[in-house]
Amino acid sequence: MKSSAVLGTLVVLAGIAAAVLLPASLFIVDEAEQAIIVEFGAPVGDPITTPGLHFKKPFIQEVRRFDKRLISWDGDPNQIPTRGEQFISVDTTARWRIIDPLLFLQRVQDERGATFRLNEILDSVVRDHVSASDLVEIVRSKDWNISPEDLARAQATEAGEEETLLQKVKTGREELVKSILEKSRLQMPEYGIELVDIRIKRIDYVQAVQQRVFERMVAERQRIAEQFRSEGQGSAAEIDGETQRLLAQVRSDARRQAEIIRGGADAEATKIYADAFGADPEFYAFFRTLESYSKTLNEKSTIVIGADSEYFRYLRDTSRPQP
Amino acid sequence: MSDDFANFQRAYRNNIDEIRRYRGIAVIGVVLALVLFGLWSSYFTVQPDEQAVVKRFGKVVAIKEPGLHFKLPFGVDRVQAVPITRVLKEEFGFRSIGAGGRTQYRKENEEREESLMLTGDLKVIDVEWVVQYRVSDPDKFLHRSRDPRKTLRDTSEAVMRRIVGNSLGSDVLTEKRVAVATKARDELQALMTEFDLGIHVNTIELQDVTPPEPVKPAFNEVNQAEQERERLINEAEKRRNQVIPRAQGEAKQIVAEAQAYALERVNRAKGEADRFGAILAEYSQQPDVTRRRLYLEMIDTVLPNVGRIFIMEPGQTAPIPFLNLGDPSPAPAAGSQGGAR
Repeated sequence: MKSSAVLGTLVVLAGIAAAVLLPASLFIVDEAEQAIIVEFGAPVGDPITTPGLHFKKPFIQEVRRFDKRLISWDGDPNQIPTRGEQFISVDTTARWRIIDPLLFLQRVQDERGATFRLNEILDSVVRDHVSASDLVEIVRSKDWNISPEDLARAQATEAGEEETLLQKVKTGREELVKSILEKSRLQMPEYGIELVDIRIKRIDYVQAVQQRVFERMVAERQRIAEQFRSEGQGSAAEIDGETQRLLAQVRSDARRQAEIIRGGADAEATKIYADAFGADPEFYAFFRTLESYSKTLNEKSTIVIGADSEYFRYLRDTSRPQP
Repeated sequence: MSDDFANFQRAYRNNIDEIRRYRGIAVIGVVLALVLFGLWSSYFTVQPDEQAVVKRFGKVVAIKEPGLHFKLPFGVDRVQAVPITRVLKEEFGFRSIGAGGRTQYRKENEEREESLMLTGDLKVIDVEWVVQYRVSDPDKFLHRSRDPRKTLRDTSEAVMRRIVGNSLGSDVLTEKRVAVATKARDELQALMTEFDLGIHVNTIELQDVTPPEPVKPAFNEVNQAEQERERLINEAEKRRNQVIPRAQGEAKQIVAEAQAYALERVNRAKGEADRFGAILAEYSQQPDVTRRRLYLEMIDTVLPNVGRIFIMEPGQTAPIPFLNLGDPSPAPAAGSQGGAR
């Protein structure tokens, strides 16, 4: 065989070997990852947290990758009774990360195991805290403050509701959550986990309790509606009564004034007559009586006059009377 | 045995010859393909509303602005585009579905679970809200949290419920809407900064905030009752505003009538008094004559119109009719007329 053929074959064989060996001894660690090299099942060396291209022994060593990022944990909602024995459904979320991949690998192997462990720990801590607290301590925060205007706006009509509204908050939601976080954190380091944050995502009444709460809300609204309606009727009646009073007043005032005017006029007229006719009362009597004769004697009247009346004098005698 | 080997050698040499013949073309072809592939994988474009994170062997080496850029080919450099200027939104308590101008509103049980929450006065209300945010740091956005969107959503729900749980239900329904939204935005942003997610929260906007569905009719009833109250009061006032002015008008009329009466009475009195006074003055000049005149004038008017007149002679008991103007047949002259004496 020619040496060039041998050389060619060797080059090809070397190429194939490189193509196989190179990928098996290089690995990429992403920005979002951290890795541990495992040799025959046992971890070797420190965890690799810097991203980039790294080397390992081919085929003997393999790479176990772990997320370096913040991971969300979302627990199932738990039904927990509060200290006041009100059943509520609490849904918490948390954020955690793997800070010690070696420990993590040894203790929980993978994220599924971690989630399992987190479920146990967090559920238990949350349950302990919730069942030891009143509902208002869980729902409200420490700066809960009700002013008198707030109280009026809240339209608290139920018994005891006002008291509940004014109830001061001793710890509050944030303190509760902080306490849960601190308590839970204690058990994390042994798993290589850092619990970064935990929050109460949802608090709801249990179905049966919610039903009762809705009924109470409806009843309260109906009470308020009834109050409005009766206020309306009362005010309207008040206004109507006032209207009637004003009406009577206006009318009676007018009548009184009219009578005064008429009376004054009558008095003045009387005075005028008296002054005028009083100048010569006898002549007035004469004059006025003559007028009256003109007015009262008509075709229906019958008069009887003596024949010796002065009017008939000239019928009997035309001589001048003696002075 | 050696025959087979000789045949094999011959065939092998023929093949090698053939391969050698096309060797040039094949090599050129492979090299060309590699070059083309290399060119194609060595550039990338970044859209105007994005930035691109360039990673070399998993490590971030550059963040590129919009435009045309180059990278190491053959997959050595990987590019991930992240929306930067586009405003992203997350909806809570409802979903708007459908694109292209017509959005529909969906609220099923799943969304209702998001929106029902407890208030500080331990009632339940239904709160819908939208978080508008954008990516402020693409590197952090990709590499700090595995699911930044879920972290944002979980945290936003927790924050909103904390704030609503610290407020009166009636406040969140009415006056404190804006305050709640602003506070929620600030708290959420603080947490995003604390977790260093590379997210900037623009706004939180409350959408529908209502009482829960089963309770709504009762709330509406309150509004109606309030309106009813206003209506009753307004009607009563309207009645008053109609009745009183009318009565005042009538009152004025009564007074005016009285004044008219008064005027007429006094004027009449004055007139009569003046008339009498004038006559009296004349009378004072010539009393007897005036008296006689007045008397006779009166008789002139009265006697013709009187129905029947009886004249009685002194000492006589039966009267004699004087004038029978209304009687067609004149009365027979009685014997005891007496004649003029």
